[in-house]
Amino acid sequence: MIEIKKILVAYDTSEPAQRAFEAGVDLAQKYSADLIVLSVARPPEPPGMVETEAVLENAQEYYEKQFIKLRETAATAGVKARFEVRVGHPAEQIIHMAHEEGVNAILMGHRGHGFIKRWLLGSISKRVITYAHCSVVIVR
Amino acid sequence: MIENPWVLPAIWLGLALVATLLSIWLRIATALSEIVVGTVAQLVIGAAIGGAVLGTDQSWIKFLSGTGAILLTFLAGTELDPAVFRLKWKEASVVGLASFAAPFLVCTAVAFWLLHWSGMASWLTGVALSTTSVAVVYAVMLELGLNKTNYGKTLLAACFVTDLGTVLALGMIFSPFTYKTLIFVAVSAVMFVVLPWLTPKFFKRYGGRPSELEAKYLLLLLFGMGGLALWAGSEAVLPAYLIGMVLAGTVGKDHVLVRRLRTVTFGLLTPFYFIRAGSLVSVPALLAAPLIFVLLLVAKVVSKFLAVLPATKIFNGQKAKEGKVEGIYTTLLMSTGLTFGSIASLFGLTHGIIDTAQYSYLVAAVIASAVVPTLIANAFYLPRHLLYEKDKASQAPDAEAKQA
Repeated sequence: MIEIKKILVAYDTSEPAQRAFEAGVDLAQKYSADLIVLSVARPPEPPGMVETEAVLENAQEYYEKQFIKLRETAATAGVKARFEVRVGHPAEQIIHMAHEEGVNAILMGHRGHGFIKRWLLGSISKRVITYAHCSVVIVR
Repeated sequence: MIENPWVLPAIWLGLALVATLLSIWLRIATALSEIVVGTVAQLVIGAAIGGAVLGTDQSWIKFLSGTGAILLTFLAGTELDPAVFRLKWKEASVVGLASFAAPFLVCTAVAFWLLHWSGMASWLTGVALSTTSVAVVYAVMLELGLNKTNYGKTLLAACFVTDLGTVLALGMIFSPFTYKTLIFVAVSAVMFVVLPWLTPKFFKRYGGRPSELEAKYLLLLLFGMGGLALWAGSEAVLPAYLIGMVLAGTVGKDHVLVRRLRTVTFGLLTPFYFIRAGSLVSVPALLAAPLIFVLLLVAKVVSKFLAVLPATKIFNGQKAKEGKVEGIYTTLLMSTGLTFGSIASLFGLTHGIIDTAQYSYLVAAVIASAVVPTLIANAFYLPRHLLYEKDKASQAPDAEAKQA
């Protein structure tokens, strides 16, 4: 039987990410697991003078605001949840945090970017599936 | 010529909007996107209608552009962490000076002996290619979680030293040493002592009102000291960067004020600066001799690499393979430098130190120095140990359960 003590939800405020969060809360409730919600702030390439600090501050604030509602949802469901914003490439930060926290499952939404965006950014979910040490659930 | 005074600003802000949208879609730095949009706009509009349509030499465009460079440089200075700098100034100075001096001397030599540019043009090449992007290193440190370590803090402080070297060289090498220089240095010294003491007191007493006293006070300082620098034959960004650094502990900590300044800077001023810088690039000159900019780029990256890599080894303190990869990654990213590089190049062009073709090679090398090392670093040197941290992974609940 799969043991799930800790779940990581990758959250970028999109609809699929919202569904992944809801699925994460359900799972956490079912398995009495802890929930970690991770959002990643991505600096521009190459990071520009002064702009980078502004972009990161902005992202931090934006996600903190989004987390207010999510906190309420998790609390209502009786799920112990932690929220964090990290900086970098989303796939790497998700995999890194999953390792660091020793989570048993990663839940993330599927964005379905177009060809150009996928070519430029790479598929985040594909990279997470390839490198993650634990089970990965892609919520559509 | 266009008679309506609002048409030209509308064209420029239209270009700024296009550049911003491109930067959002492609996730690239707005400065980079604005330079490229400026170059393309000048090429297309110049070919279709005429080169003068953008009006890059109009005094109000020069003013907005210059103010953009001054405010951006000032804000960059305020990002310095004075506490870290006081603690790590020795290490930061060693790494920072090496990171400045190596590309400065090597690129000057390459321009002088290999490209046969004039002495002054060669010095300017050295200055323009000696910079390091604090922002790039900052982002990398955050990404690797090194921003709180001694290694990360030292490297970040070192980037400020490198850029200080660039700004000092730009402000001093090309100005004649006269009594005006002495007056400028003396007034600057007094200001740098008085400002950190006076500014917080003044803001506490009169600030925090809708009349935006803080912005006016800072603009007065920047324009006043910029004017004095120019009078002494120096460059206005020199005092702006230094004022930013000495006020980093006061103004730099006031997030609300910094945000208001950023709004003015990014919303109106820097688009004029970067689009103008891009519009002055001659694409035909670049296409005529593309190897020149490649040579300058290689000179910058290689010299930076040779100077910074040993320093990262010394201060990182990691012997493992991961530490080596991390050092290479950091070094590659310290080879980037867009803003100060373009400021120095534009200074050279507007002061007649370099011609349009040389300016074009320099800006292309500066842009490439921002893009190429980032691409190489991301493609080959991403510190994969982020993904496979054995020590931390062994602390995972699964591992603990297995051990139990």
